Amino acid sequence: MTCSQWIVELVECARRQGEPDRALRAHLSLCANCSERWDREQQLTAQFRAIRMQAAALRSPDSFARAKSRESLMRDFARIHRRPLVASWVWALGAAAALLFAVFLGHEAGKRTRKAVSPAFRIHDESVLYEASLDASALSNDDFIAVPYTPPLAPGEMVRVVHADLYPEALASMGVEVDPSFAGDLAADVVVGEDGLPRAVRISENGQF
Amino acid sequence: MQPSDEELYRLMRKGNQDAFAQLYERREPALYRFALHMSGSPAVAEEVSQEVFVQLMGPSTRFDETRGSLESFLYGIARNLIRVVRRLGPVAEPVDRPFHHDILGELIADETTAALHRTLRELPERYRDVIFLCDLEERSYEDVARLIGRPVGTVRSRLHRARALLSAKLKRLNATPEVVTR
Repeated sequence: MTCSQWIVELVECARRQGEPDRALRAHLSLCANCSERWDREQQLTAQFRAIRMQAAALRSPDSFARAKSRESLMRDFARIHRRPLVASWVWALGAAAALLFAVFLGHEAGKRTRKAVSPAFRIHDESVLYEASLDASALSNDDFIAVPYTPPLAPGEMVRVVHADLYPEALASMGVEVDPSFAGDLAADVVVGEDGLPRAVRISENGQF
Repeated sequence: MQPSDEELYRLMRKGNQDAFAQLYERREPALYRFALHMSGSPAVAEEVSQEVFVQLMGPSTRFDETRGSLESFLYGIARNLIRVVRRLGPVAEPVDRPFHHDILGELIADETTAALHRTLRELPERYRDVIFLCDLEERSYEDVARLIGRPVGTVRSRLHRARALLSAKLKRLNATPEVVTR
């Protein structure tokens, strides 16, 4: 074995504070350099031990400084992790507000849609009330034209037949051919459901289509 | 069975304070000693060991366990903090803590040992780390290899090299005792 190899051995032996084995002892007795290194390695190990002990004595696990530091960290931790809880409440409130707003908008849009249907005709004379279940057959005959895309009348639903002036666009939307040159209104009887939506129309004025 | 550091970290991230407290109890003392040996200052050690955990719980710190153990991650934070402190210069020790007033080296009665402690801090970082972990913390080569992310053979050779440097320094100190006077 070379001195370098012996040094590896003696360093490990000094680190574990062990006794050199016979072979190492024999080499140490013959090699002044390795013997000197052995002494220094033993000294190093002893000094590391002293440093270790001093460091341990400097601050015990239950020292005041450590307790203070720990307490401060735990407080910070609690504060940091409380924030998402508050945020979740904020999110929940925000979501509820958004939902309410959406419901309100939907309601308003519905109202506007219903209003948008009615300007198709201008009622000037309300007249007879019919019950749909009784008079549905009466309304579906003759000259009445069903208004497309409107919900069917419920049995027992009260309908009104009103006299109204129909705009040509309203007639066109029902699929009725209208002379494009015609610019006036048409007198008509309109069947209106309880929801105010027109269900059928009968032209009472002749001649333009 | 004790939960691993990584398990505690995952719990901690979900807001479990007990897990955070366990991690602190488990890892803080060694981090304090590490900072103490690297800086020589109890005030710095106190600051660093606390700051490591402040950073660990912070939103910007993201530990990735596929890249190494949490313990080595914590040592990494501590090492970086000590580098910053070193760059900033000497730290004033609090005057209201008379026991902590003197740095560790001054508390070591034997002058040669105190000089060795100072010399240790002047070693290149790669040697200082293995001396601290292997000889001052008495960790196994395998443990240290895992912590610094190097093979066991590298840890052993670094340690031997570090001890050779310190040994040479000791030899000089023994030959010229006036060098150690402060």
